[in-house]
Amino acid sequence: MLEFWLELAKGPIFRFSFALCVLGLARIVMLSAWGAAKAYYAAGDKELPYSLIWRTTIHWLFPIRMGLRNRPFFSIVSILFHIGLIIVPIFLFAHIQLWYQGAGLWWPAIPRHLAEFLTVTTILSAILLFLARVWSSASRHISRGQEFMWPLLLIIPFLSGFFCSHPAWSPLSYNAMLLIHILSGNFILLLIPLTKISHCILTPFSQFISELGWHFPKNSAKDVEITLGKQGQPI
Amino acid sequence: MIPLLDQDAILRAKANTKKPETMEEQGLRVRYHVENPLKGGRAQRFLEAFAAILKHSSYGLILEQYVRTSLKCARCAVSCMLYEATGDPKDVPCYRSAFLIETYRRHFTLAGSLKAKLFGDPGLTDETIEEMADSFYNCTACRKCVLECPAGIDHGLLTHLGRYILSEIGITPRALVVSVREQVQGKTRNTSAIPIPAMIDSCEFLEEEIEEAKGAKVKFPIDQEGAEHLFFAPVSDYMMEADTLCGIAAVLHQIGASWTIGTKNFDGINYGLFYSDIIMDRVLNEIPKEVKRLKTKKVLIGECGHASRTAKVFLKTFCEEGESPPVVSIIELTHAALKAGKLKLDPNVVTDRVVYHDPCNMARKGWIIDQPREILRAFCKDYVEMTPNGRENYCCGGGGGTVSIDELRPYRTSIAGKKKAEQLQETGAKLVVAPCANCKKQLREVVDDNGLDCEIVGLHDLIFRAIILQENDSPEKTPESTIPNE
Repeated sequence: MLEFWLELAKGPIFRFSFALCVLGLARIVMLSAWGAAKAYYAAGDKELPYSLIWRTTIHWLFPIRMGLRNRPFFSIVSILFHIGLIIVPIFLFAHIQLWYQGAGLWWPAIPRHLAEFLTVTTILSAILLFLARVWSSASRHISRGQEFMWPLLLIIPFLSGFFCSHPAWSPLSYNAMLLIHILSGNFILLLIPLTKISHCILTPFSQFISELGWHFPKNSAKDVEITLGKQGQPI
Repeated sequence: MIPLLDQDAILRAKANTKKPETMEEQGLRVRYHVENPLKGGRAQRFLEAFAAILKHSSYGLILEQYVRTSLKCARCAVSCMLYEATGDPKDVPCYRSAFLIETYRRHFTLAGSLKAKLFGDPGLTDETIEEMADSFYNCTACRKCVLECPAGIDHGLLTHLGRYILSEIGITPRALVVSVREQVQGKTRNTSAIPIPAMIDSCEFLEEEIEEAKGAKVKFPIDQEGAEHLFFAPVSDYMMEADTLCGIAAVLHQIGASWTIGTKNFDGINYGLFYSDIIMDRVLNEIPKEVKRLKTKKVLIGECGHASRTAKVFLKTFCEEGESPPVVSIIELTHAALKAGKLKLDPNVVTDRVVYHDPCNMARKGWIIDQPREILRAFCKDYVEMTPNGRENYCCGGGGGTVSIDELRPYRTSIAGKKKAEQLQETGAKLVVAPCANCKKQLREVVDDNGLDCEIVGLHDLIFRAIILQENDSPEKTPESTIPNE
């Protein structure tokens, strides 16, 4: 029975989740690109500080310098968390093997020990991020439910994956742990385009979008006045 | 770790001095005076205005982005002077931005509407609007937090948008509205309602002052057709910043610049930046009209952060009459003159310790940071920096138009100005150079209310003290070719 569910999770459910994740993110990127193009062509001033936008974007994609000067503990933990979160699922040998078997795709894998090290750092940093969010009154107060949920949810595939590679330490059978691993991974894939995790695809454009936001359409103010029926009214 | 203000001090700073019956009658408990706020049905009208603005602007683009990427990491908190003073989570920039982000999500996205139907979310309420009205005017729109947001959220832009929507339901500080009304519809056409004869008298008086101090006949040309530069000072300079204007006139005289002040429009202030794109558009479009009337070539903005940024950045956006005229800041012009060796500044006049305060609207994007420093280092014996500075500077505490709202003074000088007061004290400077009318007024109040021992001056005030003037009979070409493009 467990084998049946495993096959289902590895096969159709994964394909469905992955496809929805990719299509959802593609939709978001296309909507964003379309919105940006419309905003650019409507802008009264089309000169953008591309050099500044580029520099700031790179700073935030590799936020070592920017990260350390403000909330350094939170920032370092966050950087460590993201490194494992991005690298392990993509470059784990076992995952690449599945891609090769299923789709004939192959790319280089990271060494097993590195993968295990990054898995552990991701789990620990997720716990620390959760605690830091609860502990800091500023972040606790502004957080919604999903902010507290995400670090804990992301631990599940990493912890279950760790137990899968160390079955002797696992509290459950290998297949049961593997099923948890795959289903939790699939669930996260489904949630990515629907939640703030879509920042994984939007962050590279955020500096550009924010700068473009200040480049108002030439007639925007007058058109708003007309729509609200206030044109020509005294102040 | 900087100590927070104690609760009593915060309560004093946030004390509401308005009459209870006025607030009762208006149904609005904000600390600033409001003329005629909409009564009842505010949420509905707010959403209508929001929808109209979304329809005709590009704000939807950023809101779509921020709805998906707001991470709530609170990194912005530790760069915000308000949060650093109060420790109140409501002063976290991300908390403030969530007002608009969540309103947009709830009322303008499919997911928000579905969620509301499923969970019975009533949506935007009048209470939330009241909280917004308070919060958006606590923020000085200095945009320091923008530098700290990994998701690239521009909280200053959201404050700008929030105030814009609020203005469409009548919630704008009276001080700003009254000034704009005079500037756009009044007889004097300036925010301080200075009659034109009084402005001309001031200029003549300043000419005498300069001659007495420097022994040179320096003119403030009025309505001179065909001049190269049309000069716009923040109009309050004509009443309060005589030395700034003397310094500017002296520099322009020394470099042989061709310039003039127009009597139909001489006020650089544009409060539209602080509360309404509609107002910003209207005020800006008066500039090209005066340029055309006097057949000048360029717009020269005096010492004012928001006036400089508004003209430099937004005139290109809103200009109705063909190409917008080029805009130059007096600081750029003076710097270019210094580099071209056209200014003689006596290095033995200013001997006190000097520190430079960066106006946010000039420095945040890296536009004017090094130029004033190079000028000051050229003649000040003891020049020091405060930390942080430049792009990462702290706001004076009176940005975003709040300095004009007198009833907010206790808040501005104790909470918003706390960080700046500490910075000034740490430098031990006797002279604080702030080339911005808003910053100067705010910093003087910060100095007074916090018992600091320093004098607030403009950049050209100090230049005026040190400049050695020569009679200039053969005007040379203004050394503007060395001003780099933004």
